Amino acid sequence: MIHHRSPLRRRLRQYGIGYAFVAVPVLAGVIFLLIPMITTLGWSFTRFNGLQPPQFVGIDNYARLFTHDRIFIKALWNTFRFTILGMLIGPTLGLLTALMLNQKVRFQAFYRTAYFLPVMTSLVVVATIWRMIYNKHGLLNLALGALGLEPIRWLSDPHWALFSIVIASVWQGFGFETVIFLAALQGIPATLYEAAALDGANVWQRFWHVTLPALRPVILFIYIIGIIGSFQVFDQVFVMTSGGPANSTITLVYYLYSKFMDLRLGYASAIAYVLFGILMVFSYLQWRFFTETD
Amino acid sequence: MFPSRRTSLAKLMRGALYLTLTLSSLLMLLPFYWTVSTSFKLEQFVFANPPQWWPDPITLQNYIYVFTRIPFPRYLFNSVFVAVVATGAHVFFDTLAGYAFSKLRFPGRDAIFFAMLLALMIPFQVNLIPLYRIMAWFRWLDHYQALIIPNITGIFGIFLMRQFINSIPDELLDAARIDGCNELNVFLRVVFPLTLPGIATLVIFTFMDIWNAFLWPRLVLSSARMFTLPLGLAQLQARNTSTWGQIMAGTVLTALPMILIFLVMQRQFIAGMTEGAVKQ
Repeated sequence: MIHHRSPLRRRLRQYGIGYAFVAVPVLAGVIFLLIPMITTLGWSFTRFNGLQPPQFVGIDNYARLFTHDRIFIKALWNTFRFTILGMLIGPTLGLLTALMLNQKVRFQAFYRTAYFLPVMTSLVVVATIWRMIYNKHGLLNLALGALGLEPIRWLSDPHWALFSIVIASVWQGFGFETVIFLAALQGIPATLYEAAALDGANVWQRFWHVTLPALRPVILFIYIIGIIGSFQVFDQVFVMTSGGPANSTITLVYYLYSKFMDLRLGYASAIAYVLFGILMVFSYLQWRFFTETD
Repeated sequence: MFPSRRTSLAKLMRGALYLTLTLSSLLMLLPFYWTVSTSFKLEQFVFANPPQWWPDPITLQNYIYVFTRIPFPRYLFNSVFVAVVATGAHVFFDTLAGYAFSKLRFPGRDAIFFAMLLALMIPFQVNLIPLYRIMAWFRWLDHYQALIIPNITGIFGIFLMRQFINSIPDELLDAARIDGCNELNVFLRVVFPLTLPGIATLVIFTFMDIWNAFLWPRLVLSSARMFTLPLGLAQLQARNTSTWGQIMAGTVLTALPMILIFLVMQRQFIAGMTEGAVKQ
């Protein structure tokens, strides 16, 4: 028996199935993304402690952040410094390592695993390990002592603390950059190098005129992802320094967290939107990057 | 004479290359080694000078402590449970939605997809405070639901799955439909098996994200029996009485499961990581 269905009914049926298949993500997006995003914006214009209803205060929170709150400015500055330092060291190390690994070396799998292993490890674990290494009597100060140098108070000296967190974070993350650069390097056609060699280009010229241009999209990707991630630094700060000493390692998200814990939810919401505003440019670039693959 | 000088120079360079690679990769592994080594040490030898590279005597007391006095087995269970359930849900919902956005026609499809991609730009911290209140409103604070339910699906995953499903030819799906498969069966029998490599990538990313998460669990969980491993490890350090040996034993237990998974699935990991970044 042939079951006859009108094209219209079949089309409506497909509509229904389509909506059913996307229903959960759409619902989740509305409840867990859209509503919270709008709510945070609304709360950022209020004084709100989570117990009494929010009180509208206009742009007071934002005004206070930028004109009266030294700790916030410090957090902003630290976050910028963390990002810039990390983005100077991490991708450079990653590229150097990838260039070395790309020289058809033996034991490549071993080396790659060694660089990549910390990427798999949670930041809390990384921070814990480095807290021990940075200890007053820890491995690093023992090494300094062996070289006849004075010990450094890595995490309790305001001049060093942020840099120490950067080092631990670079150790954790640059294996990711290594692996991505390596994959990109292996994708550069050998004929390009042969042509450059025929033109008499030396190693440096080949790197500058062949390798680097070919890596451009990957470099862009790494910097966008890295900057967005760095601006959200929290776990390491929480475990290693709690923002101290003397707020020398306080970052935007850590400050947001501490305001949240103080039940200053309106103020914390304003901090969240400042972060959002700063990241907007990079998020847009990331978005372009992902959608371009379409 | 000239060529031989060239080759000896090349040999020298090669030697320097191997030396740099070997030293730097050992340096990368040193913190891990030091962690494991410390976890087997008696406390008075943790900061011994000169350092005790091999624990002497080897003690298991740190592990016994974190297993019996600190509920690390419970943390492990919580981490595994939350990560497995949420990842499973991700695979199901992300693939279904990716399929719908790729192969099914319905009004508003592209608009919805576009809106989702836009939402990809919102950093998580922006949603944090209202999300916390929503969890409180549902009475999910300090329950698994608070960790799992907001994580059962994700835009990046949907996007990833859509990319994979785009490469499946429509003729294949039509053939299955003509053979009498309904849409769910087309999905389960044709699309799902063909998307397995994409699903591997999705599983890796999702599992790692949830396993390593800290800020969100830190906010929504308050009792130790609900803690995941990273929270338990942070909590262990917050106690004044914890010794470095115990903390390192906790660190080993927190890091080990993920490292084991990585060593077993290394190829998929690296392929998954590089897929999005390197466009040929």
